[in-house]
Parts: sequence; structure tokens; C-alpha cells
Amino acid sequence: MIQLRDVSLVYSNGVRALDAVNLDIAKGSFLFLVGHSGTGKSSILRLMYRELVPTSGQVIMDGIRVDRLRKGRVPHFRRSVGVVFQDFKLLAGKTVWENVAFALQVTGASTREIVRSVPRALDLVGLSHKSRMFPHELSGGEQQRVAIARALVRSPRFLFCDEPTGNLDPANTTEIMELLLRINLKGTTVIVATHNQAVVDRMKRRVVRMDNGRIVADEERGSYFVDDVPALTSQKAGY
Amino acid sequence: MDFGRFRFFVREVFANLSRNAGMQFTAIGTVAVTIVLLGSLLFVRESVSRIGAQVLSQIEISAYLTDASTDDTAAQLRHLMSQDSRITRITYIPKSVGFAEMRTHMEGQIDTSLMTSNPLPNAFRIQVRRPQSVAGVAARLQRLPGIAKVTYAQDIVLKLLRVTEVIERVGIGMIVVLLLVAAIIISNTIRLTVFARRREIAIMQLVGATASYIRAPFIVEGFIDGLVGAAVAVGILAGAQAELLPKLFAAMPFVPMAHAGVDEHQIVLQLLCTGAALGTLASWVALGRYLRT
Repeated sequence: MIQLRDVSLVYSNGVRALDAVNLDIAKGSFLFLVGHSGTGKSSILRLMYRELVPTSGQVIMDGIRVDRLRKGRVPHFRRSVGVVFQDFKLLAGKTVWENVAFALQVTGASTREIVRSVPRALDLVGLSHKSRMFPHELSGGEQQRVAIARALVRSPRFLFCDEPTGNLDPANTTEIMELLLRINLKGTTVIVATHNQAVVDRMKRRVVRMDNGRIVADEERGSYFVDDVPALTSQKAGY
Repeated sequence: MDFGRFRFFVREVFANLSRNAGMQFTAIGTVAVTIVLLGSLLFVRESVSRIGAQVLSQIEISAYLTDASTDDTAAQLRHLMSQDSRITRITYIPKSVGFAEMRTHMEGQIDTSLMTSNPLPNAFRIQVRRPQSVAGVAARLQRLPGIAKVTYAQDIVLKLLRVTEVIERVGIGMIVVLLLVAAIIISNTIRLTVFARRREIAIMQLVGATASYIRAPFIVEGFIDGLVGAAVAVGILAGAQAELLPKLFAAMPFVPMAHAGVDEHQIVLQLLCTGAALGTLASWVALGRYLRT
């Protein structure tokens, strides 16, 4: 369960990224965050994996006040979430296996744990046969699958995806979204910030629409455009 | 830590070291130059302080007794002076002995047969433990009853004390500046490594690596840079000692330079520790700003 209570976020340059946002996300759900660039989608995700701290309000995940976590506790908290980005953030000098194992190695996991968990994560994303390849030898979709495997290798309760299909063609996009659905069906809460209208419309999942740092629509089984807030006429963010 | 984790850690450290080989070379070179300068400076300082100490240790205080003084007075004074812990040696020179010494000194310079009467009073020659206490002891002696006049080479003592003090201070200042410059250069080198690995560091932070885990390879990198630099410097200093010092001693046999009585193993250990500490500290400072979550 994720709860955002009156969350506001003002950056040090004075820009108000979020304005009194309230949001409840049930455990095991799948949710799209949509809206223009700069409307606060990524900011919400960054609050959830504690890269940012809200200026005011509360971020509660499974009963933990994430906004109040002490600095020393943040690394341990991060191990319970997975994050996926548009640019994959893979290490070019490491193989697929090493990229996935890296998430475990740097958190001090034992060799036994690594040998057990990495093949499972690679199997889940369908890349077991490419474990010795380097990122540049893979397609964009495959690279994103490696990034997802890395995010999943610790079996996190939450998976945050920031524009995961932004760099992918339609075929790869479909593949990645199907993978995210499969992950969700295994019980992981998945939150996807996206611009991709086709994906959102096809999947018929909960859609939260952001505009100017506020939630302007929240629909179960929604679509990218909401009738009363069409994207083309909605007020553009002021920054 | 199991073997796999240890191997991963060592690989991380060597990845750091090899990634910026040029900058590592700069850092190691800087430490080496700093430690060579530090070693040379310590040698000069030690030599100067030994020269000073030798000259100063030969300085005597002469305390002349009043004309009315007797052997009893001298004995009482000797007793009083022997209680002063700063004094190491007291020699009583009766006026007759003093006169005989003077005649010997003057032999050949003047016609000593003309020295018919003895103008000298009875006197004490006193040596002190530390050159710094010459002035204090002299002042105290002056106040003792039966002492007419106290003299010592005031000018030499004061000047030598001042010179050694200045050299001491300048030396410390230079050492501090040298260490600071080296620390800044190492710090910048580590920052470049951190910058080169910022993507990796960002991923580490994202997946939940602790700050100390991320920091450790860089700290080890600084430690190795410092230690290797210091080892190079020790090699250079050892070469210089073997090649140059004998020539220097031969050229200036009368100057008591720092050589004998110096524990070389201890100096090597101190220089290596200084280098390693310098590298470790510099990388710690460099990381502070970059590793905020």
C-alpha cells in the first residue's frame, strides 16, 4: 500500500513540482501516471523511491513514513523497491549477468544468493540465453529487460518505471508492457509513468493524470485522455 | 566476507585504479615529490638543530666571585648551584688557576713576563643541560650572594636559539603547505575517478548500496596512491642518502649533520604512514560531497 498525503514538492529554485497531492495505491495494483512533461510524474516516483523528500506532506509505503527515513536507512529501504528508467542505466562494461548481479553484489549479497537469484531474474525477463552478452550487443527492448531483471533480482514489493518504453519501438514496447503485467500478476505493485497513449489505452488499467503538479483525474480502467481534461487543451505547466 | 564478495571488492578497487591511470600517476607522483621534500626538510631541520645543539652545548656560564669571597663561600655556592637540576657541570677555577690559564692563552701574543699581578677573581664555570635555560640560570646565579658578575655568550645563544626556532617554524609551515597541496591534488584525482564512475555510483545508490560500501573502494584507492607515492619517495631518499650524503660529509667534515643515531626504519615507517594517511584522508574529503543520497 502506498499513500501520499497532501504531498507538495518545491525545488530549491522555487519551482513547485507537486501541489498537495493525495494518492492511495493498493498493494499489488498496476497504475499509470500520465501527463505532459514537467507535470510531476517523475517527481512522484522519485518521492516513492526516496530520491526526493517532500517539502510538506507524507509518503507512506507499507506503513513506513518514507519521507522521514533517516539517511542511513535509505539504502535498506531502496532494496525493497525496483526502479526502471527510459535510458536503462546499464553498465556498458559489464555483461547481462554482471549487470543484474551488480544490484546484489553492491548490497553485500553472498555468492550463493547471487548464483540463485540472477538466473531466476533473467529467466523471468526471457534473457537467460544472453547472459554473457554486453548491453551494446542487445536491442533496446532487451536492454530494458535487463534493467527490469536488475530491478527485480531482489524480489521487490514495488516496481517504479519512469518512461520505460520511451526509447523503444512499438514491438519492443508491447513486449516490455506484457513483461510488466506478468510481474504485476506475481504480486508486485507496478507504477508506470508514461507518455505512451497506445499502451495506456490498450491496457485498461488505473490511470492517474497529472497536470501542473496536481492530480486532475484518477480512473480505474482508464485511458490516456480523460473527456473533461483533453491533453491538447489542458493548461500547460508553468515551468 | 565470503571469497566472491572479496573478489568483487578487489576488482572494484583495481577498476578505479586503472580507469584513470594518468591521474593515478599524477597523484602518486605528487605524494612522492611531497614525501621527498618532506624527508629532505626533516634532514635539514635535524642537521641544523644538531649543529645548534652542539654549539650551544659548549656554551659555558662564567660566574665571578667577589674579591672578599673565600673557599668557604665557594663551597657554599657550589652546594647551592648543585641543587639546580638545569646545571650539569660546575667547575671551580680559583684565581691562581685562572691566571695560569690566561698566561697560557696569551703566550706568544704578549710578553707574559709583564703579567706580574693577578687581576682575576675566583670563578665558577657552569654548563647547563638545555641551551634554552642558559639565560635563566645566569640570572639566578647573578642573584646569589658572593657572586660579583655572571657572563656567557649572550649574543650567540640568543641568535642561535632564534635561528633554530625560525627554522623549526618555517619547516613546520612548509611541511603543512606541502601536505595540503598533496592532499588537494589527490583529492581532485579521486574526484575525477568518482566523476568517471558517477553512473555506476548512481546505480549503486539506486539499488541500495550503503554509503560506506560505495566509499570503500575510493578510500582504498587513496590509500594505495599515498602508500605507493611514499614508497617511491623512500626509494629516492634512500638513493640520495647512499649517493650524496657521503660526498656531503666528506665536503664538510666539521659540520655535525643528521646521520648517526637516526633510526632509519622508523623514519621509513613514518614517511610511508604519512603518505598512506594523506591519500586516505584526501579521498575521504573528496567523496563527502559526491556521495549524498
